[in-house]
Amino acid sequence: MDQQQLRNFEARCIQEEQPFCTAACPIHIDVRPFMACIAKGDMRGARRVLDRTMPFADIVGRICDQSCRTACKRREIDSPLAIGSLERYCVSTVPAVIKPPKLPGKGGSVAVIGSGLSAMTAALDLARKGRNSLILTCDEAIGGTLRTYAEELLPAQALATAVETLDFYGVSIQFGCSLTNEFFQTIRQDHDAVFLDRDCADLHGLAVDCAHPDPFTLGIGREGCFAGGGCLENSYSVIKQVEDGRRAALTIERYLQQVSLTAQREREGACPTRMYTVTTGIQSQQEVLPADQQAGFTAAEAVQEAARCIQCQCMECVKECTFLQEFHDYPKQLVRKIYNNEAIVQGTRSANRMINSCSLCGQCQVVCPNDIPVADVCLASRRSMVEKSTMPPSAHDFPLQDMEFSQSDFFAMTRHQPGSDSSRFLFYPGCQLAGSAPQAVEQTYLHLTQQLSGGVGLMFGCCGIPAHWAGRQELFAKTMQDFLFEIEEMGNPIIITACSSCYSIFKEFAPNLSLRSLWQILEDIDLPEQRGLIPQQPMAIYDPCTARHEPEIRDSVRRLTKKLGFSIEEHPLSGKLADCCGYGGLMQFANPELGGKTARKKGQRSVHDGLAYCSMCRDNLASSGKRIAHLLDYLFPAADPEDPALRRNPGFSRRHENRARLKQRLLTTLWHEESDMTPEYKKIELFITPLIMELLNSRHILEDDIQKVIFQAEQTGRRLVDPESGHFLASYKPVRVTYWVEYEPGMQGFIIHNAYSHRMSLPGDVK
Amino acid sequence: MSNFSFIAETDWRCACCNKNLQASKVNVEYMGSVFNVELMVCPDCGFVLIPEDLALGKMLQVEQLLEDK
Repeated sequence: MDQQQLRNFEARCIQEEQPFCTAACPIHIDVRPFMACIAKGDMRGARRVLDRTMPFADIVGRICDQSCRTACKRREIDSPLAIGSLERYCVSTVPAVIKPPKLPGKGGSVAVIGSGLSAMTAALDLARKGRNSLILTCDEAIGGTLRTYAEELLPAQALATAVETLDFYGVSIQFGCSLTNEFFQTIRQDHDAVFLDRDCADLHGLAVDCAHPDPFTLGIGREGCFAGGGCLENSYSVIKQVEDGRRAALTIERYLQQVSLTAQREREGACPTRMYTVTTGIQSQQEVLPADQQAGFTAAEAVQEAARCIQCQCMECVKECTFLQEFHDYPKQLVRKIYNNEAIVQGTRSANRMINSCSLCGQCQVVCPNDIPVADVCLASRRSMVEKSTMPPSAHDFPLQDMEFSQSDFFAMTRHQPGSDSSRFLFYPGCQLAGSAPQAVEQTYLHLTQQLSGGVGLMFGCCGIPAHWAGRQELFAKTMQDFLFEIEEMGNPIIITACSSCYSIFKEFAPNLSLRSLWQILEDIDLPEQRGLIPQQPMAIYDPCTARHEPEIRDSVRRLTKKLGFSIEEHPLSGKLADCCGYGGLMQFANPELGGKTARKKGQRSVHDGLAYCSMCRDNLASSGKRIAHLLDYLFPAADPEDPALRRNPGFSRRHENRARLKQRLLTTLWHEESDMTPEYKKIELFITPLIMELLNSRHILEDDIQKVIFQAEQTGRRLVDPESGHFLASYKPVRVTYWVEYEPGMQGFIIHNAYSHRMSLPGDVK
Repeated sequence: MSNFSFIAETDWRCACCNKNLQASKVNVEYMGSVFNVELMVCPDCGFVLIPEDLALGKMLQVEQLLEDK
């Protein structure tokens, strides 16, 4: 990722945009934390928020005309927050908490003519920036129009406090000035810049046209002279005075620094925001009105009203995604972490685990208002890690070995239908379904051969998605190349996939193939007569994440379930919003805990029993404790009448075994080919309790690995013994991982007591 | 992990040599980094014992640390 790409991604994530109220406020008061503080009774905290941004909070907080209120998102639900009344409550009950710092003096003197709120604000802001500012007014007191407010609305004390504030920052005030043209000329000569507050009755005597200042800079076409404030169309807006005063101070500061008066000022004053906040599902709560209108809010009323604030933010992608939640990130932060991770030459790449934990499922992109492709960013980063040899070897070793197994002669094969030498169709069940439900694969194949004419070939293998997800581009390209070669050899038949992942891979990387999903085919042919018992109670369809962009497949599945007589209750996170089960992106291997959490969350989306049509979803959700069956379990039921929703996840070893046996059985029964390629070590009989089996699965240790350890230990005699228990302990390193097995010779095989592994090499590793 | 000692009394004996294991310095290696650590080893044939708690504890931590380097 280069810096330009980083900036593009960052700019698309709107989580850090201003909320609607803050954007609408001309001085961008941070309303969210203000509300949050009041809601928890922290009135000083709320006052601190105001003090940071609001000049003369004792005045403005009491009488602001709250242009923010019309922007409040809550209006879509019931009524907007009483932001002005809450500010009034806050400044009336809590004195100033912080005084913003005053920068060291840096010269430059500014005359502010007039003493209304914009003059006061300009003088104060300039003084804080370290400029000498002087207020010159014909009046005998400051405030301008503010002085006409009734005492109960704006107490005289608030203006007295403002004078103290100006004094504290070193602003001097000259009262009773005679505003003649001569006076103005002298003032202009003696100061570097002048600001004229139009909230002053005597400005007309100055022969300066300040009726039409530039709205952006407040310049009035005379060198160093600026004007703002005052009544517009006979209406006096408090926040407009503050806005002009602040804008004038910023312009004058730029003027004194001799930099552009206009560059990058788009966000000053009320501005648009790209914030996106969904309000559906938020309960209506009527606005809290003070019982005593005159007295305003009580503390309890203020707390109650502020608690209505929904703290507008986007977080649409984070709301549903366990991965983003786990790493406390929204895409803007995530993308930056990935960029930084890639930039590290020497040192710890602390984002590796995060990058490898994404399921690449794409749910976030669907819910994102700007379609930020988090999956693409994570995948691109994995590819770059592989290219630069910085990919942690342990992250994807196990699933890639699983893929290697599925592409080896143990499982991979391609045949025309028995008795035929051409194929109009080719059934591609995928490695995981063959590992999980081999009998369903066999029956489905037989059914297809009976129902479809023109020959239905069969192909076992792995589509290569583990390599794709792991960022192993070369390996993946090789897999696709070999696959396409075989397809051509078979005469380019129509490929029927049972697995949505295979389907998505072929569709994306071999767009010229004729491709159909098994579910679309089953819809068009007769269904098997011997079917399983369809449950009476409702079931929820669990779409796989890889069918997110395949509405036709999802619809076919639904029509099939209807035809079969299922009672289906949809849940909200289905279809294009489907979660991943934890297998996607190899999440469950790079981050097993998160994989488990993700499967549990998907399972909990519906209270009903699940009906899956992806075998990884089926097995992972079953492992998470969900009652869930595969659609094929009902179409082609197993011989034993076990409840398909209770079928256990076969685990990794059994999956290998299932694939290998399925191939051998079909070769023998359908094609009458003899094949016994069982290596010597596979003949070792193991006795493994379910508890130890669970341990082996969680540690990613296959029975195959154990057989290799014992085989070589028994052959060479190299092993440890515990004389007390008679157990042996031996180790073996087939490729990269060293496996240790504690075992005991039994009557007909070996009893397994424990197994563990490590990747560090020892001297004299047995290979 | 360099210069660490992981010796602990053990009931495991070398079945091949019929010897008790003894503490010995051993070089272990991962991703180009070599560590000299003290482990329980058969004095005759040099069979090195990596107990379960070491493999799944300190050793795993160091492996993951090196993988992110």
